[in-house]
Amino acid sequence: MADQRPNQLHRFVSGYGMIFVLLLLMLLFTILTWKKQTPVGADAGHTVAETILAQNAQAVVIVVAGASDVEQAFVQAAEQRLSDGGATVARTVSGNPSDARRTITSALDDGVSLTHVAVSGIAERWTVFDRFDAGDLGQRVSPQPYSWPVFAQTNNLLSVANQTAIYAVIAVGMTMVIITGGIDLSVGSLVALASVMAAIVIREMGGVNAGPGAMLTGVAAALGICSAAGGFHGVMVTRFHIPPFIVSLSMMMMARGLAYLIADGTSISALPESWTVVGSGTALGIPIPVLMMIVLYGVAHVVMTHTALGRYVYAVGGNQEAARLCGVPVRRVLVTVYITCGTLAGLGGLILSSKLATGDPKLGMMYELEVIAAVVVGGTSLMGGEGRILGTLIGAFIIAVIKNGMNLLNVGAYEQQIILGAVLLIAVLIDNLKRQRSGGVS
Amino acid sequence: MKHRLPFLFVLLAGLMHCGCTDSDSSRSETSDASGSGSTAGDSKGTIGYSALSLTNPFFQIIADTMTAEAREHGYQVTVVSANEDVARQSEQIDEFIIQGVAAIVLNPADSASIGQAIKKANDAGIPVFTNDIKYTGDAGRVVSHVATDNLQGGRLAGEAMVRLLGESGGKVAVLNYPDVESCQMRTQGFHEIIDAHNATNGAAQIDVVSELNGGGKRDVGYAKTRDILTAHSDLVAIFAINDPSALGACSALEEAGLQDQITIIGFDGEKAGKEAILAGRILCDPIQFPRQMGRRTIELIIQHFDGEDVPDEELIPSKLYYRADAETDPELQTSSSHEKSNT
Repeated sequence: MADQRPNQLHRFVSGYGMIFVLLLLMLLFTILTWKKQTPVGADAGHTVAETILAQNAQAVVIVVAGASDVEQAFVQAAEQRLSDGGATVARTVSGNPSDARRTITSALDDGVSLTHVAVSGIAERWTVFDRFDAGDLGQRVSPQPYSWPVFAQTNNLLSVANQTAIYAVIAVGMTMVIITGGIDLSVGSLVALASVMAAIVIREMGGVNAGPGAMLTGVAAALGICSAAGGFHGVMVTRFHIPPFIVSLSMMMMARGLAYLIADGTSISALPESWTVVGSGTALGIPIPVLMMIVLYGVAHVVMTHTALGRYVYAVGGNQEAARLCGVPVRRVLVTVYITCGTLAGLGGLILSSKLATGDPKLGMMYELEVIAAVVVGGTSLMGGEGRILGTLIGAFIIAVIKNGMNLLNVGAYEQQIILGAVLLIAVLIDNLKRQRSGGVS
Repeated sequence: MKHRLPFLFVLLAGLMHCGCTDSDSSRSETSDASGSGSTAGDSKGTIGYSALSLTNPFFQIIADTMTAEAREHGYQVTVVSANEDVARQSEQIDEFIIQGVAAIVLNPADSASIGQAIKKANDAGIPVFTNDIKYTGDAGRVVSHVATDNLQGGRLAGEAMVRLLGESGGKVAVLNYPDVESCQMRTQGFHEIIDAHNATNGAAQIDVVSELNGGGKRDVGYAKTRDILTAHSDLVAIFAINDPSALGACSALEEAGLQDQITIIGFDGEKAGKEAILAGRILCDPIQFPRQMGRRTIELIIQHFDGEDVPDEELIPSKLYYRADAETDPELQTSSSHEKSNT
């Protein structure tokens, strides 16, 4: 009993060592992306107003901000606080620089003598203020910037998780397929097919005005066709003994072609506004795709570690003949795994379709490779029999974090490809070294 | 864990190195271009540009011109490539918003599907500009769009075809690319002129016998041209909606030994296309002006920030470019002297 604890720790570390790589990468990008940030919204408006009031309680002010809701919140908060504090708010603008020009000009023409202009972080970048005499405008006050790593902004972390979610969802099925020793190259095309299928059903059932019934039918049709594709893989692999690589390669072409065919080669965006709820919405401040991903990984982890199906999947991948002799229903396991993979690719396609509010046969290009990369970086062996669902999640995040960090650091597009290729290669190299080592021990 | 540590260090070292070299190279670039005397000093902000694809030299020219032009006005440009993937482009826009760029410029990877991403930028108060490819949806707002007048360019191609075949008539093929709005306009303009010609000239009809999707790419243009040649042995001319597909068609003709029988009209005026015009492999191109496109985009951004009212759309007229133009084109100077020494 006393021995078991360090033993478990050791197993955890060797199994999920990649999580330390992920954390270190995050730390690295946090340090490298330290940069000045500007506060936005109502708080920023309030602070700017306070600054002006502290300088002059009888200030005469124009408040200038951009056109979005956040910017309007800035204007409202600043206006409120300034009037409460006894200052005069001569004009407010929430719009384009040209709106600001017109408003300031009209105020000056009306003979308003300004003491201050309160400017939001967005409007601070505008050069429109340089048109006027500094004396006429009075003092320009904008929110005080603060230093904070761009990478570690909540927004960015959520956005990384959100971008990863689609790959990660598809990667669950891919991990299972790869653990059985197979591969599924068709997932990218199934993403496109699912998005197009759902969009077409919804378009035919009302388009922009379609109700929840139409959307559910669209979802069912999309998932249906993708699980059918998965089932087709399974049958071809188990009954006709065609290598999974070839079966899924042909499905990759057929599904993409079918998506172009039924979509008539163009994107379909006649979708109701509520279609974007899943892809762009949040619950408890977390994007819904991320929540779906978390739930899915929870379920998949339990299935793979605590159920007969999970054990069968590993057994089939380890040695198919031995598994069959031990009474594992090999064919049924394989068909189930391929159906799961196809269905989850369809789910990924639906999330993407919802996020972009479109059904588009061009979506999901090269996703198969991104997803396989996540699985491999996560420590699953392409030889089958080995791998962890949660490892794949970490692998997907490692790739996403590297991509995001490189984008934030403005690493060029060509260099990014080289680095990502190298990461993949190194991950496989480690996998091989590990295999040789454990081979040497046994 | 132990044997994973080396991997970690390699990875971290690689990233550090990459970050460093990148900032180094951009720094040296700045000093190169600011040699003329513009004081770089404190940047007024960053403009994010998501190009349709940087493998197409056309967008690389736009990117370079915008970078240079923006620097004159005290802005930096961050260039990323969407690789024609609208999902990737929308992620790039997310990242631009998080980086807090002053403005976003993009060539929509899909004229409709990019709407949600543009809307997000709108919500963050960041102005969005497009060039070359227009956003056609209504979810997001684009301040200004700068592009070639592709309809007029297509008409120019049609006029060049009529000038070529107006007396004799004959069978022609079109290599189109209906996936992109700008290329649809080119085909449309071309057809307008050909139809008008055919309506008035009963004797010398120009028949468009084949219209295939050349993918806007060299290899696809090549393959489709081979098929067209097989189907129509009496073809006399081809209109290809851009230079890569026109050059693909050239290769197919030369391979079949039909370059004297069939004349090619391209579109774009990218360097490889102009060289082919100079060499007589392509008759002429309605050319685009990517430098002007990039420059006007930046100028409109500056005007926008300055509080000017900017137009929703600015179209740059195309112009026909023949061999005579190529002979005097400074861009081709070195290759033209080479050509002359050969003949």
